[in-house]
Amino acid sequence: MSLATRWARFRKSEGGSGLALVSPTAIYAILLLAAPLATILLFSVLTDGYLVVEPVFTFGNYIETWTNRIYRSVMMRSLGVSVAVTVLTVLLAYPVAYFVSFHVQPSKKSLWLFLITIPFWTSYLIRVFLWKVILGYNGVINSGLMATGIIDEPLTAISYNVQAFVVTLAHAYAPFAILPIYVVLEKIDRSLLEAGQDLGESKFRTFLRVTLPLSVPGIAAAVLIVFIPTIGDYVTPNLIGGGKIPMIANMIEVLMLVRDNKPLGAAIAVSAMAIVTAVSLLFLFTIRKYLRGQK
Amino acid sequence: MNERPTMIEFQDVHKYYGDYHALRGINATIKAGEFFSLLGPSGCGKTTLLRTIAGFEEISSGAVLIDGKHMEGVPANQRPTNMVFQSYAIFPHLTVEENVGFGLRRERLAKDVLARRVGEALEMVGLKGYGARGAHALSGGQRQRVALARALILKPKVLLLDEPLSALDKKMREQMQVELIKLQRQVGITFILVTHDQEEALVMSDRIAVMFEGEIAQLADPETLYRRPNSRKVADFIGTMNFMPASVVSESGGRIEVDTQGFGRVEIDAAQAPGATTGNGTSIGFRPETLTVLFEGQVAADRECMATIEEVVYFGDMTYYDVRLDGMQTPVRISMRNVFGRPVLDIGTRTRVAWSPGALVLFR
Repeated sequence: MSLATRWARFRKSEGGSGLALVSPTAIYAILLLAAPLATILLFSVLTDGYLVVEPVFTFGNYIETWTNRIYRSVMMRSLGVSVAVTVLTVLLAYPVAYFVSFHVQPSKKSLWLFLITIPFWTSYLIRVFLWKVILGYNGVINSGLMATGIIDEPLTAISYNVQAFVVTLAHAYAPFAILPIYVVLEKIDRSLLEAGQDLGESKFRTFLRVTLPLSVPGIAAAVLIVFIPTIGDYVTPNLIGGGKIPMIANMIEVLMLVRDNKPLGAAIAVSAMAIVTAVSLLFLFTIRKYLRGQK
Repeated sequence: MNERPTMIEFQDVHKYYGDYHALRGINATIKAGEFFSLLGPSGCGKTTLLRTIAGFEEISSGAVLIDGKHMEGVPANQRPTNMVFQSYAIFPHLTVEENVGFGLRRERLAKDVLARRVGEALEMVGLKGYGARGAHALSGGQRQRVALARALILKPKVLLLDEPLSALDKKMREQMQVELIKLQRQVGITFILVTHDQEEALVMSDRIAVMFEGEIAQLADPETLYRRPNSRKVADFIGTMNFMPASVVSESGGRIEVDTQGFGRVEIDAAQAPGATTGNGTSIGFRPETLTVLFEGQVAADRECMATIEEVVYFGDMTYYDVRLDGMQTPVRISMRNVFGRPVLDIGTRTRVAWSPGALVLFR
């Protein structure tokens, strides 16, 4: 069989047309996602030279990443902030999603969802900056409290610290958590809740035994959607923390761009990715019982 | 049956949804151990009425009593009723066992006692050995059985069934009808079934309430409902009924003399006019199987008249003849059991038809 007829056959086959359809996306993904990732992976096992990356294989960057106290504590802080943001966001998002799904009239639901997404209309940067205005030393809260005479000098506990990051990020990611939870709540057959009560359980116990377990897939999606990006966030620490309390992403930025130690930055980045993946998988493994076998 | 105690009592029950009047003064009593059906077309309020018993709908006025107790303000989880939902409402995140044992959790039984009771309930509905299966791995019929076991394991005073068979195919439905009747006799619990399928109601029930537009049109046992419907509407909804224009000539001493278009003058018993006067015109009704096409040599047991066959529908075991009785403008339907060796008659045949005044019902 000649190459030409093979080619003609391939073009007509289902696989061929499928490949043709995905190829623009695939090329885009390979160039802009897979290739940079591969570069980072490669850099992480090479040696740092002066303004260049020496092609000499080493595990030294990883050893430095995992043994240096500074990197370890920044990594732990980032993880802590992410976990706190995730827990807070999901805890606040769940009642909102529940309210919209169960207590808003069907005709008004889309209006509510529309209102929930309004924060997305402004850029993320502006929203973060607005929190700075609210929480800052001369911000809305402090000046308000001072004007009413409740406090004499500005509170420092509400800005330039980890709690401020958590508040800012939790607000920024709220719609990301509300929407997946809302979707699973919408899918729950309402007769299941009646069945729960019919079988003798109170409304609250029915929620615990029926609604909550059935909404776990949505909670899982919300957790991952919030947890994964927040750990890499570096805008908020810069603006809200004034750059004084670095997170892991700020660390990577400094190493890569300021200190020009690309291999070490890459090793930290890969390690952070590995940790996020491990934590996410562990989370999914723990709740696996609720994720399968539903129809 | 009359000596049985009352289990459910509706006292002038009204239900409004905004301006919509869904239940318009329901008065009825359902007896303990009875298989009771609420029958009617969709939107007649039968499901709403069932849900007022379960506690899922609050009534606007009137009262619902279960076993002599007023149910006002009693939430669904504290009522002595359990329900089999139309969608079965099987918890998808639980196994069959966990579904069936759902309502027993509060009783904090020992593990082996719980397992035994769940096992018994599953055996009762013919699902022995299915306990460990996930709910998603069940067929429609099996889901229905799980829903039944889950409700019956709690030994309710009343079991409510909301169109439980409507999602099953015909064979399965007929099988489940028989099983439900047997189950009800076995457990002796009051069953209340909501259905729009008149045949299902006739097959299964001790008594049936036929509902139209939020009102009970007739409440009777299946035979009475079939033989003596109290309105044209009920007659039309249950089975097939032929109608013939008629007028009342005289009425005295429990006898009514009626002039009919097809049968001429006929005298019937007052019991054959069970309905109230509606003013919508007078007519005589009769079921297709109460007429017989007579073959040569056959003699009518009661009366006979002449007719022309206009349409023949052959069903194998049955034949439907649409015949025009002499003197009538519109045809009436006759259903006949086919007997081996007797031919199916052709369209256009002139034939004698046997009928009986005792099978007529007067509507006026």
